[in-house]
Amino acid sequence: MTDTAAETRDDPAVGASAPGGLADTGEPSTGPRLPRARQATVALVLVVGFALCVRLAQVDLRALLEGLPEMAGWIGRSWPPSTQGLDLLALRAAETVAIAVVGTTLAMVAALVACVPAARNLTPARLLRVPVRWLLNACRGIDSFVFALLFVAAVGLGPFAGVLGVAFHTFGSMGKLFAETIEGMPRGPLEAAELTGAGRVRVVTWALLPDAAPGLVSVALYMLEFNIRASVVLGVVGAGGIGQQLKNAIDLLHFPRLLTIIVIILAMVTAVDQLSARLRARLA
Amino acid sequence: MTPSSSSVLQVEGLGHRYGTSTVLRDVSFAVAPGEVVAVVGPSGAGKTTLFRCITRLIEADHGSVRVGGRDLAALRGRELRLARRDVGLIFQQYNLVRRRSALGNVLLGRLAHLPAWRALLQRPGPDESALARSCLDQVGLGRYAGARADRLSGGQQQRVAIARALAQRSRLVLADEPVASLDPASAAGVLQALGTVARDHGIAVVCSLHQVELIAGFADRVIGLRAGEVVRDGPASTFGPGDRTAVYGPAPATIRTPA
Repeated sequence: MTDTAAETRDDPAVGASAPGGLADTGEPSTGPRLPRARQATVALVLVVGFALCVRLAQVDLRALLEGLPEMAGWIGRSWPPSTQGLDLLALRAAETVAIAVVGTTLAMVAALVACVPAARNLTPARLLRVPVRWLLNACRGIDSFVFALLFVAAVGLGPFAGVLGVAFHTFGSMGKLFAETIEGMPRGPLEAAELTGAGRVRVVTWALLPDAAPGLVSVALYMLEFNIRASVVLGVVGAGGIGQQLKNAIDLLHFPRLLTIIVIILAMVTAVDQLSARLRARLA
Repeated sequence: MTPSSSSVLQVEGLGHRYGTSTVLRDVSFAVAPGEVVAVVGPSGAGKTTLFRCITRLIEADHGSVRVGGRDLAALRGRELRLARRDVGLIFQQYNLVRRRSALGNVLLGRLAHLPAWRALLQRPGPDESALARSCLDQVGLGRYAGARADRLSGGQQQRVAIARALAQRSRLVLADEPVASLDPASAAGVLQALGTVARDHGIAVVCSLHQVELIAGFADRVIGLRAGEVVRDGPASTFGPGDRTAVYGPAPATIRTPA
């Protein structure tokens, strides 16, 4: 209630200030305006910075122009797509889905635990929130691919290394998104439940989870979609799935097979995205 | 009312400052078992602050609050939780769990009493379910037991909240502006339901209202709050134009309403 009241109170102010800002009447309405000299400096820094990045990234248009005909040739040589060994490809594709599903599920269980101390409105102690946030950010900052590289070294080649890679990275992202979802929940019902004298675990499971569930499930489905795409490339570092086949086909310049694999990946990713989008639409 | 050990609620010398402004100044009153008390006053008189100090959602600067003889200010953690079980609360915004059924929300009033395994598995058991169901019946919503809370009207949601407070089986219910968001007909219905269950069960009610018109037929006693001070405390039947002026200040002649 206080939120909506604040919004309605702010609305006229926002409406009044926006046209003023656009008309450039010199009023400091949409925030502090930079003087012209500062504007020029900022523009110069941006341009020089971008030029530097282009240089560092070794952008070379000539190489692209020379390479394009060759790529076009690959497309010609890849037709018709190979139908050999489709059963193996299907198995590897299923493996990719399995890596994403198991990795996301493991991450979800851990994230559900971690989001309680990470969420401002649930944490039992403010001090606990800081290290948990650090842990989540660290896991989020390291990509599944990098984690998978480490786990291939630790547990050996194969999809299990991929599962662990996905799980660790997803734990970070999902824990953060879960915590943000929970922080966005209205305070009232939680307060009402707390004031019946019930303990924290009871309050969370009875008064918070039912209302937070659609948001949490939506986050989990989004992460699953993301992880299907991420799992595709894990095979490149030997962590199982269809990515391994992709790398083999490129290494052998076996273009018809490459085309088949790309079609399978596209079909797989699209199917999961569609399914997930539909489920999420029904959650509202 | 003289403070006595038989009071359900005893507030003494309660004071609270917010920054440099005094929100509550030396507020004292006691509520007897089964008594229905309306706290009236203009916006900003300190009604909400008073309620939040009583439940210790905010800490008072001075004074004490005793519920059933126990000083709430002295309690911490688990003890405070146990003491809060004895106070039912009703909020202006109902504060129901939106996606739970009406019955599920009433069961929240039993949450602290459920055995741990029943609470975790969300299986309240037949006794508690029957109790919750009877509470819903008493506010006239028995046939909405399975309806999701956010599908009910405002008046119905507030009656679910009354049933939730009733399910706590407490001797004291605090209601902070329970009908401020409702249309007049729903407001009257909600207050009637609250008054009825209070009298049927001998529950003391302290209820803040900003519409004085609603106290007739609902409250036994009216406490008037103005600028954080009690300016009127007496039977509802004697609340007259003089009291109204004491609480709200002189009414502008053009919109004066009969008291």
